[in-house]
Amino acid sequence: MTQITRPTPRRLDAFTLASEPGNERLALARVAGTVAGLGLPEARLERLKTAVAEATMNAIEHGNGNRPEIPVEVEVTLNGGEIVVAISDQGGEAHTDNGEHTEPDLVKKLHGDQSPRGWGLFLIRNMVDAMNVTTDGQRHTIWLTMRTGGSAHEEHV
Amino acid sequence: MKSMCEATTRELPGAAVIELAGEVDGSAAAVLTAAYEQAVGSADAIGQVGTVVLDFAAVDYINSTGIALIVSVLARARAERRKVVASGLSPHYREIFDITRLSDFIELFPDLDRAVSQLTPPAA
Repeated sequence: MTQITRPTPRRLDAFTLASEPGNERLALARVAGTVAGLGLPEARLERLKTAVAEATMNAIEHGNGNRPEIPVEVEVTLNGGEIVVAISDQGGEAHTDNGEHTEPDLVKKLHGDQSPRGWGLFLIRNMVDAMNVTTDGQRHTIWLTMRTGGSAHEEHV
Repeated sequence: MKSMCEATTRELPGAAVIELAGEVDGSAAAVLTAAYEQAVGSADAIGQVGTVVLDFAAVDYINSTGIALIVSVLARARAERRKVVASGLSPHYREIFDITRLSDFIELFPDLDRAVSQLTPPAA
């Protein structure tokens, strides 16, 4: 029998941010610095930065209700050829970004049939190779996976 | 929230140009709305504004709320029968304009000179 050995995930960074609008810029800058040197092509790095910013915005606004005293937690892990960024808040099952699951439709938005907003999760899904959401009690986590050598969504390049 | 977005407007025959700088996010709402009204209003004083040019060359960040603001500007311009074009987007934000389908409704140009050069002045 062939034994498949999976690499042990390596934590590259972990930090917290106060839940204040605008702090998503701090998250994207720190994650970009953390993954520098891992061979992520520039276009894919830009996508990861956008996904991290949007997920952090959701955590600040919809998860923690813009309450600075409740931190957003960010963890960056390298798992073989995958960068995994986990962004956690305390929104639990009642996370208010759940209302954003309606697929944004630009034509409807232009006709006033849909709010102009609601692009956050849509952008995240289109920026990374995989997006997963888990909830454990009050802890709500979005997991962003980007392969360092992969090429998901290359059709957009 | 303090806006990190700045806008400069100018008029051309039949068109208004809004040059944006900084961050297009939720804090940019008032700046963008005021710039649109100033650009369209002042240009309308010298002739019908058929096209609004949004220049993003000096913009370093656009988030989902910024995309929503651009959608609102586009909806308003279309209701007023004006065309919107954009210039100076980085490759990443061009991709986002493609993904969101904004580029189906906003013609994209590499830079402001090329956007302006294709403008057709209104008939005398």
